[in-house]
Amino acid sequence: MNVIALPIFVPLLLILILLVVKQTRWAQWISILGSTVLLFISIILFSGLKDTGIQTLNMGNWNAPFGISLVLDYFSALMLVVSSLIMFALSVYSVYFMGEEQKVNKFYLFFFSLTMGINGAFLTGDAFNLYVWFEVILISSFVLITLGKSKEQLEGGVKYLALNLIGSLFFLAGLGLLYGKTGTLNMAHLAEILRESEQPVYINSSAALFFMAFGIKAAVFPLFFWLPASYHTPNITVTSIFAGLLTKVGVYAIIRFFTLFFVQDQAFWLNLFLVIAGLTMVVGGMAASTHYDTRRILSYHIISQIGYMIMGLGIYTPLAIAGAIFFTLHNMIAKTNVFLVSGLINRVKGTFYLKDVGGLYKQNPLLAILFIIPAFALAGVPPISGFFAKFILIKAGIEDGHFFISAVAIGTAMLTLYSMIKIWNEAFLKKAPEDKESKYESKGLVFGEVFPSIVLGAASILMGLFAATIFAFTMEAASQLLEPGLYIESVLKGINP
Amino acid sequence: MEIVLAILVGVLYTAGVYMVLRRSILKFIIGLIFMSNATNLLVFISSGVVAGEPAFVGSEPVDANALSDPLPQALVLTAIVIGFGIVVFTLALKYKFYEATGTDDLDQLKKTDN
Amino acid sequence: MQIVLLIYLIASFLIFVIPERIKKAVPFFLASVQLGVFIYFFSKIGLVSGGATIIEKIAWVPQLGLEFELVLSGLSLAFVLLITGIGVLVFLYSYAYMKSYSRTDIFYFYLFLFSGAMLGLVLSGNLILFFVFWELTSFLSFLLISFFHEKEASRKAAFQSLFITGLGGLILLAGIILIGSVVDSYSVSVWVENAVMIKSHKFYLPGLVLIFIGVFTKSAQFPFHFWLPGAMQAPTPVSSYLHSATMVKAGIFLLALLNPVLGGRPEWTYILTLVGVITMFLGAYFAITQTDIKAILAYTTISALGILVMLLGIDTVLSTKAAMLFLYVHAFYKAAMFMIAGFIYKKTGTLEWSKMGGLAGIVPITFTIALLALLSMAGLPPMLGFLGKELIYEAKVQLPDVASFILVFGVAGNALMIAVSMFFLFKVFLGKKGKSFEVSYKKDWAYVFGSGVLALLSLFFGLFPSFLGKNIIEPALNSIRKIDYSVKLKIWHGFNDVFFLSVVTVLLGFSLFLLIYRKNRLLEKWRNFNLNFFTIRLVDVFDNTMNSFLKLAKRKTEIVQHGYHRYYILTIFVVASVLLWYQVYVTQGWSLLNVFTLKPFYISGLVVVIVFSTFFSVISSSRIATIITMGVTGYGIALIFLYYSAVDLAITQIIVETLILVMFVLVLQQFPLFAKLSSKASKLRDVLIAITFGSAMTVLALKSINIDFNNRISNYLIENSYVKAYGENVVNVILVDFRALDTMGEVTVLIVAALGVFVLLKSKKV
Repeated sequence: MNVIALPIFVPLLLILILLVVKQTRWAQWISILGSTVLLFISIILFSGLKDTGIQTLNMGNWNAPFGISLVLDYFSALMLVVSSLIMFALSVYSVYFMGEEQKVNKFYLFFFSLTMGINGAFLTGDAFNLYVWFEVILISSFVLITLGKSKEQLEGGVKYLALNLIGSLFFLAGLGLLYGKTGTLNMAHLAEILRESEQPVYINSSAALFFMAFGIKAAVFPLFFWLPASYHTPNITVTSIFAGLLTKVGVYAIIRFFTLFFVQDQAFWLNLFLVIAGLTMVVGGMAASTHYDTRRILSYHIISQIGYMIMGLGIYTPLAIAGAIFFTLHNMIAKTNVFLVSGLINRVKGTFYLKDVGGLYKQNPLLAILFIIPAFALAGVPPISGFFAKFILIKAGIEDGHFFISAVAIGTAMLTLYSMIKIWNEAFLKKAPEDKESKYESKGLVFGEVFPSIVLGAASILMGLFAATIFAFTMEAASQLLEPGLYIESVLKGINP
Repeated sequence: MEIVLAILVGVLYTAGVYMVLRRSILKFIIGLIFMSNATNLLVFISSGVVAGEPAFVGSEPVDANALSDPLPQALVLTAIVIGFGIVVFTLALKYKFYEATGTDDLDQLKKTDN
Repeated sequence: MQIVLLIYLIASFLIFVIPERIKKAVPFFLASVQLGVFIYFFSKIGLVSGGATIIEKIAWVPQLGLEFELVLSGLSLAFVLLITGIGVLVFLYSYAYMKSYSRTDIFYFYLFLFSGAMLGLVLSGNLILFFVFWELTSFLSFLLISFFHEKEASRKAAFQSLFITGLGGLILLAGIILIGSVVDSYSVSVWVENAVMIKSHKFYLPGLVLIFIGVFTKSAQFPFHFWLPGAMQAPTPVSSYLHSATMVKAGIFLLALLNPVLGGRPEWTYILTLVGVITMFLGAYFAITQTDIKAILAYTTISALGILVMLLGIDTVLSTKAAMLFLYVHAFYKAAMFMIAGFIYKKTGTLEWSKMGGLAGIVPITFTIALLALLSMAGLPPMLGFLGKELIYEAKVQLPDVASFILVFGVAGNALMIAVSMFFLFKVFLGKKGKSFEVSYKKDWAYVFGSGVLALLSLFFGLFPSFLGKNIIEPALNSIRKIDYSVKLKIWHGFNDVFFLSVVTVLLGFSLFLLIYRKNRLLEKWRNFNLNFFTIRLVDVFDNTMNSFLKLAKRKTEIVQHGYHRYYILTIFVVASVLLWYQVYVTQGWSLLNVFTLKPFYISGLVVVIVFSTFFSVISSSRIATIITMGVTGYGIALIFLYYSAVDLAITQIIVETLILVMFVLVLQQFPLFAKLSSKASKLRDVLIAITFGSAMTVLALKSINIDFNNRISNYLIENSYVKAYGENVVNVILVDFRALDTMGEVTVLIVAALGVFVLLKSKKV
């Protein structure tokens, strides 16, 4: 068997192992080990791309487009590496932060089913298979979000579930229509058919359904409601996983579909993307600025940042797509990290509510540094990763004449800055409010708790310092997306059914 | 006859959407089931169905166009099973939620916003 | 030069590893590093004044036009010497000033990192690199202003400065990208080569305005100046270093750097002179009524920055020369004055001049230094400030176009400056004794050393200006104007227009001083007048805008994220319906060919049954009836599957439907009856939306049936099912072989769902 399938089968194996493991200790070690292995696999897969460009695997040896193909191109490989890195960090983090829950063994099961779904979604080259992985992600996230069973969690869970289920139905309906019109499900084959077709606009209605499905998943305006209603309710580990990965799978799917085969009637779609991107950025950013709970601020903030990714797609030049990918990678890392740090703040101070905390700068300088790295990354301070992400997008926008959306992006960057400074001022600089201080005994942090943040923080910084390398990869990914000839060729290998 | 089935799909969607817009969570779930049935039917008919033979083949070659398209059937089958799993979980969640809060009214679920 | 920046970076981090017992030596260590760098660059004067530029370049992100390109030209050298030279003195001063505070590590860390960033800024030969350093200085300034972070005022001022300069920074970036797109490069040298093209491009004016906004925010020009007085919340060494001598000059540096590219057009001249003159006058005007000595210095800094902007705006050789000279003049006296103000603050515990007085008797040396610095600030001989002012007048007189306007405000501004300087001198150092304190110069030498050096330099260069003119001003000027021009500075120009203007200025200034010094009430009235007249304070405007924006955001958020779950769903379906109907509308042209092909016809009877049971399920108010009719619908669909030869599907549907029904019935025991929760109107609305969406789906289904790109892969599956996969039931073969991965995912979903239900229902009640 080809190694491309490993990111799907290793988690499966881990799930099976974890089904029989009873001790929490063991489960923790297995999951750390497992996620380390996954990280290595994804790095190896990624470095293997240098020679081949795109790797494919036909499952069960059924030639594409008849069976299911897995496809690894630069875009999916980059997403895979970053998500594996995040999963690795979270597997360590969860040891300390899932401790209080009784279901800790089960948590790892769902953790890896989620991993499996995400990896599958990145790897698959088949539209229906993507649906299946979406469902795996969905059910795993349902379970994770309700794991603690507090009232709030159940309520958040109901909302999360309701809106996402509707999203799935749109996805499935879109698939049905797409298959009805084209008779195929393989994405490369779809690309070939639809790019050559003479009446391609007929596909637009299916495209609309897919857009709804992925839009709900990616939490764009006006489909994002489930996110702020639910993300702040579960255990911080779970929120961090969701924040870093879930919406980005939606973004991944939008970018994949709308560069590979929904390329008809671009005047309509790209303008729609730009409008949505602008609204998403502004609404998310504005909403974030009004809150005082770190998790809520950061949740709205996720939405705002999704806008940037969609903006890149809407501009649709190689630079812009590369920018969108760069932004996505940067955002996955920094956003997860900032949630992890908010968990640390909660650990030290006992609350997420900014008005009740303070004085952390003095009390715990290490925590201040850990916060300031992802916060500065998100705010776009050079030379950390976020600066390049925004720079590339704004450059792409201005050079392609999209001045308005570029101005919106700049304005939103200020909103981001405002939110980050608010957290910084309130949690770190301000004196701790005295009446609250006495109630909760402040705790110190052990190394294992901060280790994941250190890893992700270092990743953000390195991504900035070695932006040339990362950018070259994203540029490669973008050119593969915009000129899918190679993609189609590698998958179909000249077979024309 | 396609038009009749297509209209049925529309009716099921209409019923589903109306139900998911109710305040009761139970109705919401029923609405989801309607919509999910509608979607399955949509996938099933969208490539054109044939009232012919079921897709059973033997060793001798067959005329593929005379058989119903087996692929949408497989897809719908997968979707039905997945949908089942999710509906079961949703029901359990609903059960737990009612146990915890004593309400079936979605409009009471306002705590986690704002 | 890259090594130099690296040294700054490493030295900053070394601060944290220096052992506790020699912690005291940190400022000396840092000052000596600065001194070393100063000497290094000082030794390059010969080379640079000979017309050479030193360029070092390594790639950073070359694909994006970002090179790590450092350029040492006459212009950058002039700034470098200022940054490192004053840096040495500031770190020595900090030794004395910061002694009494805890956590000085972090202070020195930020401050030293700032020196490095500032150095990088003025050495950048690539504008994106320049921007990187520009942002770094903004953020370090933020961190330094909020050093006393437990004070609300500090945090607020720090935020304000960051927000203004940060916004300006991003706008500047947009300007750089815009103009960069004209020549496809961010290298300053490329811009200079293509200056003609840039100036005639349609992006010239928008790019210019964007860059100017960046400059105006950083260099505290009207109407963005208000953050600078707030920044005085920082410890005084920071005020003296960042907010007078170096960081606020970054904008000036950028103007000088881009003068060959963007200058020489009326847009450049008019915008800059206008903004510069307004800033200059307002700064001086507001300085005089301040009660806090640091605030006085802050406003005079704003005024000085206005002068610099105006001079660069006049855009002649003479005005540029005046700007470069005044840069030095101002840095010398202002840094010195801040150091003195900090010293006084430390000794008296106050910054209000009304509580001071007669300090000359207590601190004679400081008095002498302050006298020199204030003379220079007032532009009186024999100080360097005098030369600067004369040159400025000369430059203004030279410009016929807007000269009278500039001259009037210039004279007024300078007169105010004289009055402020005199007032400062008399109120703080002479006159009635205010607070008294002990001082020992032996112990407090570090407070005085820096300001002393700077004041003496002001005097020295005032008397012997040729060294400064030849080695620093001249190379800088030549690298800005791209010409050879020899700078000769002299103190006496003879009786001419300029001399006449000087005399008028001095007379005006002295009269004004006497007026406000004699009559304290007058100043008070003046202050009150200002408070009443200038009711719109920009700081408040900023705060109010911010607050009303937040209120607006809150309102909007409450509208969007209102918490009513079904409206979220409603929104989704409305959006979906609009999108789908729009698509149906634009993609006409397909025809309904296969509408009645399907047999048998009696299926319609079944469909009618399903429709009725669905309808009943929806309208029924009985729970059990709703669920059972829902079941009927499900079974009906199973029958449809069966009719159309999907046996496996029908079986699965029946099983699943049955299981769901059973579960519903089990769970149902727990639930309340359906309450009548919705009003008629909302029901009607929901029906309409549901029908809109449902009918769209019908149309889409028909469309999909009738459009076929004719590429069914299932033909292959049918043909090969038995031959290659050895299965007769094609559907099953697809599930377990062709698309086994789907089935694996499906099983995973089931397992996870089962475990999830188990975890959810097991154990404790909530």
